[in-house]
Parts: sequence; structure tokens; C-alpha cells
Amino acid sequence: MKPIITFARWGNYTIAFKTLFEKLGLKVIPPEKTTSETITEGAKIAPEMYCFPLKVNLGNYLPAIKKGADTIFMITSLGGSCRLRYYGVVQDKCLSEAGYKVNFIIFGQSPKALYSKLKEVSGASFWQILKAIYFGFKELKFIEKLEKKGQYFRPREKKRGKTDTILMETFFDLEKVKGLKELSEFKKRTFKKLSEIEIDKKKDIPKVALIGEIYTVSDSAINFGVEKKLGREGIEVHREMDATYHFKKIIFPWKDWTIQKKINPYLRSTVGGHGRDAIYEMLNYIKKDFDGIIHLLPFNCMPEVTVRPILEKIHLQSGIPFLSLSLDEQVAEAGIDTRLEAFVDVVRNYHNRN
Amino acid sequence: MVTIGIPRALIYWKQPSFWESFFENLGFKVLLSPFTNKEIVQIGIKISDPETCFSNKVYWGHLLWLEEKCDLIFVPRLKANEEKLEYCPKFFALPDLAKILVHPVKSSQSEVFAKGEQFNRVKTPILTETFDERKEKFEKILLKLGKKLKKSKKEIKEAAKIAFLREKELKTKKEREFFKKIQSKKPKIVLVSHPYNLYDDYVNLGIKDKLEKLGTEAIFIDEVPTQQLTTYNLQQITTERQKLSVVSCQLSVNFHWEFGKEIMEEIDAILKYKIAGAIEISSFGCGCDAVLKEFVEREFKNRKIPFLYLMIDEQTGEAGIQTRLEAFIDTL
Repeated sequence: MKPIITFARWGNYTIAFKTLFEKLGLKVIPPEKTTSETITEGAKIAPEMYCFPLKVNLGNYLPAIKKGADTIFMITSLGGSCRLRYYGVVQDKCLSEAGYKVNFIIFGQSPKALYSKLKEVSGASFWQILKAIYFGFKELKFIEKLEKKGQYFRPREKKRGKTDTILMETFFDLEKVKGLKELSEFKKRTFKKLSEIEIDKKKDIPKVALIGEIYTVSDSAINFGVEKKLGREGIEVHREMDATYHFKKIIFPWKDWTIQKKINPYLRSTVGGHGRDAIYEMLNYIKKDFDGIIHLLPFNCMPEVTVRPILEKIHLQSGIPFLSLSLDEQVAEAGIDTRLEAFVDVVRNYHNRN
Repeated sequence: MVTIGIPRALIYWKQPSFWESFFENLGFKVLLSPFTNKEIVQIGIKISDPETCFSNKVYWGHLLWLEEKCDLIFVPRLKANEEKLEYCPKFFALPDLAKILVHPVKSSQSEVFAKGEQFNRVKTPILTETFDERKEKFEKILLKLGKKLKKSKKEIKEAAKIAFLREKELKTKKEREFFKKIQSKKPKIVLVSHPYNLYDDYVNLGIKDKLEKLGTEAIFIDEVPTQQLTTYNLQQITTERQKLSVVSCQLSVNFHWEFGKEIMEEIDAILKYKIAGAIEISSFGCGCDAVLKEFVEREFKNRKIPFLYLMIDEQTGEAGIQTRLEAFIDTL
């Protein structure tokens, strides 16, 4: 019997992962969309002091398991000494203690480990796996490009909310796209649609960067759509953290060396996860003359908490507006909104001063 | 004479006597910060990041206490031990954070902006060296450290030798005490935690005394002599029962953290004796303990040994702990 697969949800990228598994001939039940209900359900069975993404993941698995999924894909060991390494084991334990019977497939992050696990589970040929990964990667790239476009269009659009409607439709339709040819045609159509949005090109727009932990930065469901909210306030949002950034760093490790070189005056060692990257990005954005930095992290995230004093120091030295938001299941949207609104005012002032 | 200050918190408790005797034998004066007290904790909380773990906050308090009382403050960067297992990632950044974060910003924010670069920081220079034994041997790193202090190779080797001897002496003493304790007739309770929570009486609210007053024998987990699991040992384990009691802890999860593996091994060892109950102490905000607790708890619960999980932070009340301990002792 072939396993029915589900996996950890990760923002819009979930679509690409889903097609990747489907292309391998596996049966997939995608994880449930993150809502406040799934988060509370997940937090109920998760260890109290564990970091937030684990609770979100568990909440997303539960409805999928109820629908019949029996196997969960989970990665381990991201960039060293981070708790992500134990996600698989701990989630396995939590689910079995809560009375669910699921099979966990835990694999390392090297491309070789990924390949051998995929082969073992699906029984697909080398060529098929290569094709599936290629297609998944193409789709991932496309999703990231759409997100980038959204960041550009949102503050400039003349009719408010137009960009988001188009993006939402596109993500919905993208799930139905099957072949490579179809995908490239779909791409053309979408970009044409986006180019028809009326925008104000001359508008003077302040720029804000999102840095911090990759999962909270790139999943709009758990950061309460910070990107959208800022965009609607007329602020252009940038972020470097996305899925391909992470995968590239695994395949080409020398990116880490350049990062270390750049941040040497502040931190002389790795701290696990993407701790170093946050500092590097912040320095980079200051050089590019940005008007504000928002640091997002799950409550108690070890690498980000460790580097936060350093980020605050850079903020004091350069004077760039800086806001650090830690997120967990107890954070309310209203609280985040208030802080964002105040921050937007600071950013505007800073922008006009220059 | 040059005075080297060592904060008596966090990493100090990993090798309590080693650094003291090493620097003293090199001909320096060593100034240890006092045992944790309320004042130190208060300073620490004020200046550290609000979300970092309680043990870290205490460490910054100690570091600030040493400020301007000595010529150098020793803050090593511990990365990996000789078994190639990593330390807590928060230790990796200690020297860097010590240089920048530790000082209350006295001037108002606007002044800081105006001054730019020059805002408050620790004035005492920080002495540091990276201990990554995946790359270099411990002795070699000591030589590098000694070079920074302008000492000759011979002196350093001599000092290290004496320090190692002293460390070993303490270890055997600890072991002897353990066997004395294990033979007592009182119910025995194991305290599972990191050494910096176990030996710091202010931080853990004197839990050892409290347990002894309640008529029990408190055993610290790091006193337990361990047998490391090797392939040779594995072959000796034959019966099913032995397998359950010995192998399961160490193999249930493959920790890449030094303390994680150590604690699992020590739990293996202590389970061979008859113990009445186990208490895990964890400082609030400790990320590693969130992982560790899951597995420690499982080991004790599988064997039907009562287990209590205590979280400590700057607001923990003495009365609250006392009530919980009394209730726990009653369940035994």
C-alpha cells in the first residue's frame, strides 16, 4: 500500500511542495491552512516551552491526519544548533501521545539524503525524481517572484486591494497547473494581468525590510500579514529570506563565509539557524538606505534572541527605525497592528528627514 | 599584578575549579564574582534581552559586578567538546554580547543618536578564546590563550597540568560522596538539570536544603558516574530487561548537545539504583530544556517513577516551590 503523505506547511510555498510529491506518484493530503483554530489545537498537544513553528505545524497536521494522511515528511538540522533538528522526533512523540498513529519520515538536509529518502518512499525512477524536483523548483521560483511583485505593486497601486485579489486568484489557480508547458503559459498570463494594474510610478515610497527567522518572515498566516499591512500603508517591503535562499545556502555553503566576514565586528561565530544572516541583512539594508527594519521571530527562538542585542546596537549606532516582534500563540492581531501603525509613523518621519 | 575576573555563573559551573587554578598557576590573581544574590540578578535582568533565558540574565549580572574591579574578564566561547558535541548555541555568542550589551544605557535615546558610535559598553577588556574541539585539541587552545597573556609554553603546560589534576581530584571526591549518598536509607530524589542551576543556591532557591529538611536525600544528576555506551558495552547487553534499562535512554534520541547526551547517560546510570522520584529544574526561556524535558520525562514516566518539573525565573516565589515540593514528597 502506498503511503498518504502530508508535510509541514510553509506559506505559499506549500503549493510547490505539494506538486513535488504528486509528481512522484504519491498520494498527498496537503496540511490545513494556518488559522487561529489550528494554532490553538496544535498548542494544546505541543510542549509548552517549544518554539512557535512546531505548534503551528502540529496544528496543520491534525486536520490532514483526520482526513486520512498516515505519513509525515519532516526535515531536520537547519544550519546547526537550532531546535529544528528535533522537530521530527518531538512531533512524532506529541502525536503518538495524543493518540494519533502516523509514520514519520525524517531526513537530513543534504540533497543526497533527500534524494535517497524520496526514492525509498515513492519507488520512482531517477529521471522521474529529477523531473519532479525540477518542476517543484520552477514553481517555487514563480511563487517567490509573485511575492516580490506583490511587494512592489501594493504601495503603488491606484485602486486599493487590486494586487492582492490577483495574487490570491493566481495562487488558487496555480494548484491546478500540472505540466511544464502549462506552467510557462500560466506565468505569462499572470504577469500580463499584473502589468495591467494601474500604478503611480512617481510616488515617493519609504522602504522597510523584514529580517529574522525564515518561517515567521515568509509565512503570512503566522505573521498576521505584515507585508500586506505595510504595503497598504504605502510602504514597500523587502525581504531576502525565502525558500530558495535557504536551499541555495545548503547547496553552496560559501555564502556563509562571506556573511561571516561581513559581520566579524559584531559576532565572531555562528549561533545556529539564521542568526548571522539577520545581522548581515540588517547591515546590508542600512547601506542601501532603507527607512526601517522589522525583526520577526517566534517567541524564544534561540538564534534570533541571541543576536537581538546586536541588532539593537546596530539600530542605536545608525539610527534606523527598528521594531522587533516576537510571535506566539498568545499574540493578538490588534496588538501587532497598533505597534505597526506606530512604527509606520516613525518610518515616514525618518524617510522625510532624509 | 594582573587580576582576571571570572563570573561565577553559567559556564563557570561546567568546570568549577579548572579556570581558577589554571590562571592562578600562571601567576595571575583571580577574582570570582560572589555567589548569586538579589542585586546581581536585578542588574542582569535590567540589561539583558527580555526573552533570553534566566541563566543568561544571571550571567550578565555577574559580569557587570566584575566591571572595573579587575583588569580582564574571562569569557570563553565554548563551541564543542572533545566528543564533538556542541554546547548551547547561546554560549557561542557570549564574548560578543559581553562586549556590546553589558551596560545600562544611561544617556537618553536622543543623545545616543547624536553621539553615534560612542555609547556605553563594558570598559574592562574581555579575555576570550574559542573552544572548538572539532578543530583543535583543548591543550592547543590553552596554549593560544596563554600566548595572549604573554606566558611561555612551559609555564602554560605546567599550569594546565595542575589544573587538570585538581579537577580530577574533585571528580573523585564527588564520586565518593555519591556512593555514600546512595547507601543511605532515606528516599532518594534525583535532581535533573544543568550544573549552573544545580549548584547555584540562589537560583534554585536552595532546593537541596529544602529536600533534605523534608527527610529525603537529594542527588544531583551530574554526580552520577557514567559508563559511556560503546560497541563493546552494547555486546555485553544480552537480556531484554537490561536492554530496557540501559540502552533505551541513550538511544531514544541522538542529541548533538553535550549536556543532552550527558544527562541521558547519567539517567541510564542512576536508573540502576532504587530511586524514589525525580525533579527536573529548568530556567525559564531555556530553549534546549524544552527539547530535553520531553525525553527526560518519558524515561521516568515509562518506569513509573514520580516526576516533577519545576521552572525557575526571577519571579519564582520561595513559598510556591516549598508547597510543590511538599506535595511531591507526599506522593512518593
